Amino acid sequence: MQLIIGNKNYSSWSMRPWVLLREAGIAFEEVQLKFDDTGHAKGAERYSPTGKLPVLVIDGEPVWDSLAICESVAERYPEKQLWPADARARRVARSICAEMHSGFQALRGEMPMNIRSRHPGKGRSPESQRDIERVVQIWTTCLDRHGALGPLLFGRFSIADAYYAPVVTRFQTYAVSLPPAAQAYCDAVLALRAVREWMDAARRETEFVAGDEPYASDHR
Amino acid sequence: MLLIIGNKNYSSWSLRPWIATKVYGMPFDEKRIHLYAPSSKAEILRYSPAGKVPVLHDEGTVVWDSLAILEYLAEREPRLWPRAAAERARARAISAEMHAGFAKLREHMSMNIRKRYPGKGRTPEVLAEIGRISAIWGEAKGPFLFGEFSAADAMYAPVVLRFRTYAVEGPNRRYMDTMLALPAMREWIEAAEREPESIPELDLYE
Repeated sequence: MQLIIGNKNYSSWSMRPWVLLREAGIAFEEVQLKFDDTGHAKGAERYSPTGKLPVLVIDGEPVWDSLAICESVAERYPEKQLWPADARARRVARSICAEMHSGFQALRGEMPMNIRSRHPGKGRSPESQRDIERVVQIWTTCLDRHGALGPLLFGRFSIADAYYAPVVTRFQTYAVSLPPAAQAYCDAVLALRAVREWMDAARRETEFVAGDEPYASDHR
Repeated sequence: MLLIIGNKNYSSWSLRPWIATKVYGMPFDEKRIHLYAPSSKAEILRYSPAGKVPVLHDEGTVVWDSLAILEYLAEREPRLWPRAAAERARARAISAEMHAGFAKLREHMSMNIRKRYPGKGRTPEVLAEIGRISAIWGEAKGPFLFGEFSAADAMYAPVVLRFRTYAVEGPNRRYMDTMLALPAMREWIEAAEREPESIPELDLYE
């Protein structure tokens, strides 16, 4: 299996399946393509008809889109229980991942992932504030319900945590103050081995992608 | 099983899980909420924690978002995904692509079953997205994308109706005809045509 990803500092969609595979201990070969200034990864067309990353190549066949990758991996490794085993919890886990997948436009657009940078207070509009509140509501509902099983959204690690991991890094970059339960969840995600490994690699990257740096002039 | 949906004329996200349940004869009740009315938001929030339709209530739990609902339905009706693992992965990839992509098509060619807007909405970005849909449909096994009807067809069903409204020629005509001939699709179209409410904000080219 080959996972084709973009820049670790910027590519939130790449981070999701990468964290999932790594945290679950599933072996894969990583292929990294770097973004140009517009956020296009040169050579991605070789791997996927959409020309977008991430792509997982399984037995020579491309699976594109982070959510389809996560579903396909979950199905291929049922023993890893990448979705919660409990049917009700699984429904909620899929719902909140799908909500992330097609929603939170303001959060994504105004607070792009940028692991190595710090832009406290930037990107707050009424819309992104609403997105932040919805994320906190999702997290606290899950943590209330499954907190007895562990510190993650459904107790133990699942696709949902991989899916919200880039949001956790955004809250750090933009210094979003959170209620204690939500902050404790962020800390638990930041302590995951795979998340630490990804973020360490992101901090070592030197490429500057202008399209993902709306607040860079404040620091340069 | 209770499926809460929006206006059949306009709500493309509602059509997706609705048609999947219908095609495979899964029994369900439906509740339709008229969108864009003063009371809509409060009414949706009674059923949906995300404040959006469609949302499915079953066995005391709530499943929201069209793609999550389809995955839930597929756990109960495995025919909703192709049987071969590689095809299933591909079906999920194009479904996810539809779920998070094609933003310009959605914006400029919003679903509006009753209307005819031939030639409208064709910006360069929209044309590029139509090209991508042509490529996806061009690989259809026939009669549906993966042989039998699957969740991927449910995801692309509203696009078929958009191409009808906006008279988009080119993409796999045979596939469109297959989809339009589905009894479930006809039932949805007829209901949309009978709907009394209009949403002026969504009648884009009056």
